[in-house]
Amino acid sequence: MLKQHFSQFQTFAGTRRVLALVLSLGLLLTACSKLNNKKTDSQISAHQTTDEAGRTITVPDTVTRFISLAPSLTEIVYAIGAGDGLVGRTSYCTYPAEAQKVEAVGDTLKPSIERIIALRPQIVFVSTASQLEAFTNELEVHHIAVYVTDSHDLEGVFHSIERIADVLGKRPQADELLKQLRGRVSAVAEKVGSRPPVRVFYQVSDEPLYTIGREAFITDLIKRAGGVSVTADIPGAWPKYSAESALAAKPDAIILPTGGSMGDANSNVASALKRSPAVANGRVYKINDDHLSRPGPRAVDGLEDLARALHPEAFNQ
Amino acid sequence: MTISSSTEIVPKHRILRGIDGTRATFKKTLFVCALLFAALVLIILVMSLLGSEKLPAQASLCALLTFGKSSCGLTGDQDAILFDIRLPRILLGAAVGGSLAVAGASYQSLLRNPLAEPYLLGISNGAAVGTMIALVFMGAHEWSRPLMAFSGALIATLVVYRLAQGRTGATPERLILAGVIVTTFLSSAIVFVTTLMDATRIRSFTFWLLGDLSGSTAKLLWLALFIAISGTLVLAAHARSLNLLMLGERDAFDLGVEVSRVRLIVFIVASLLVGSSVASSGSVGYVGLVVPHLVRLSLGSDNRITVPAAAICGAIFVVVADTIARTIIAPRELPVGAITALIGAPLFVYLLRRR
Repeated sequence: MLKQHFSQFQTFAGTRRVLALVLSLGLLLTACSKLNNKKTDSQISAHQTTDEAGRTITVPDTVTRFISLAPSLTEIVYAIGAGDGLVGRTSYCTYPAEAQKVEAVGDTLKPSIERIIALRPQIVFVSTASQLEAFTNELEVHHIAVYVTDSHDLEGVFHSIERIADVLGKRPQADELLKQLRGRVSAVAEKVGSRPPVRVFYQVSDEPLYTIGREAFITDLIKRAGGVSVTADIPGAWPKYSAESALAAKPDAIILPTGGSMGDANSNVASALKRSPAVANGRVYKINDDHLSRPGPRAVDGLEDLARALHPEAFNQ
Repeated sequence: MTISSSTEIVPKHRILRGIDGTRATFKKTLFVCALLFAALVLIILVMSLLGSEKLPAQASLCALLTFGKSSCGLTGDQDAILFDIRLPRILLGAAVGGSLAVAGASYQSLLRNPLAEPYLLGISNGAAVGTMIALVFMGAHEWSRPLMAFSGALIATLVVYRLAQGRTGATPERLILAGVIVTTFLSSAIVFVTTLMDATRIRSFTFWLLGDLSGSTAKLLWLALFIAISGTLVLAAHARSLNLLMLGERDAFDLGVEVSRVRLIVFIVASLLVGSSVASSGSVGYVGLVVPHLVRLSLGSDNRITVPAAAICGAIFVVVADTIARTIIAPRELPVGAITALIGAPLFVYLLRRR
């Protein structure tokens, strides 16, 4: 009885010793990291700025290590010639090809926070405000700034490009890129601007039926390509849509974003749309989803794809 | 222990009394079911007039009552909305609601547990895992979805039943615990399968998991209707055995019920019912719980009435809930499972407190 009691006490003491060790180690580590942080804080000067979600963030004046958590942002970073500083990306960031050499930190929805911290970025670029709160707090504890982009139309995409370039010190490159992109946008406007807009249904997925709403930047792309989305007034960016309303909308053209990283998903018209004038007249167009679903520089490729589909006669002259 | 005191859904003497007078009950059953069926037909007609697109009411009713033989002045598109989109969806809702309610009612009698329900016991999740596996790994085959859903539901049922068997038989607590364990295990299996899927498909899957009737394909509609009706008939034919099983398996055996045969039939038929409804519409919750209890409260606990009445009332419940889901934020849509839970959970709390 006594022996048992004694051995219990002994193991208890053992646990205590281990606990104390762990605690002191932890303290030491935090102290070290605090010291480290202080060092980087004093080494690199920083300034405050507002991101596109309206959050005030502190950004180092010179950014040499950063992570992108969206394919569109990775494309922007490379297009303005800042790809060298990219130390982490998502598994969906497969364009341009150089991006695939960068370490992946998980997918867009569930990136590995440990790997992000281990890569020691100064800033992380994120594309939507969803599921961000806990994630942002944790990164900020580790002195990593989070810049959130939030574009709802093509101008918004261009604005994101400018702002990211400002943060990364690549404004001249961005200005050059934007001059080129805007030139292509106005070339499209010149060709299709005077033509009657085509009524378009944009099918995000067929079962269940999803489409684009007011807040999707694709709604703006369709407008600029000489079309009008029949769901342009629906609240939200990606609403689930009533099949009977889709049938009643009688679109003259249907866009199926497919291919690219989507594979052959979404390559069939939803059954409710089989009676539409678009199907009757053979005006169903498959367009590379990577050009349409990524609010980055290739959105202008998507714009040109759309304009060619909606107004082929304008491009045959 | 409140749970064990409610083990007996019905007091013993009332069950024994119900065994006599088959004739009267048969007449009463016919009368009640005819009345409820008339109500279902009326509700289907009324709900067919509601939707995100406005249709002329008189012409639509006329077209519906002539089974679409006469267009009654509806345009081609209006006709397509009514007969190709709205009516199939309503009928699928009726099949799903009926299936889940009957499955719930028979599980409750067989397992002598008022909380037994396909969703809470993890059986819906079993069917969901089966369906997802079919979608991810066997996408091409049309019949893989319902078949895998049925297998998933059956496996989940057998596992829950096995886990619930203690040395002293299955207690209600063990059954619910087994259900919780299986549900959480299968939920993580669902999460695992979703991570194997394309990012673009995850959104539609989360919608489907909550119970969604919008993606009804014609083939699944006929299958779901066939299984709902024939399943209800089979279970109604075993209603007398289910009544005796409410006394406990031993007493039922002593009174001449082939317990293991009835148990197997209920498990298989209920799994078919749950499987076909999950394959076509995901996991619509609370139907199997709320509807049978409401029916018992208003019509008594004789399964000869409860089983068919639960089928019709379940159909009414889901048809109404889905009409709300597809019209309340039209032309956008909600998953019907959100509405059934929203109505079902408070209703259930009310029922519990009234007792």
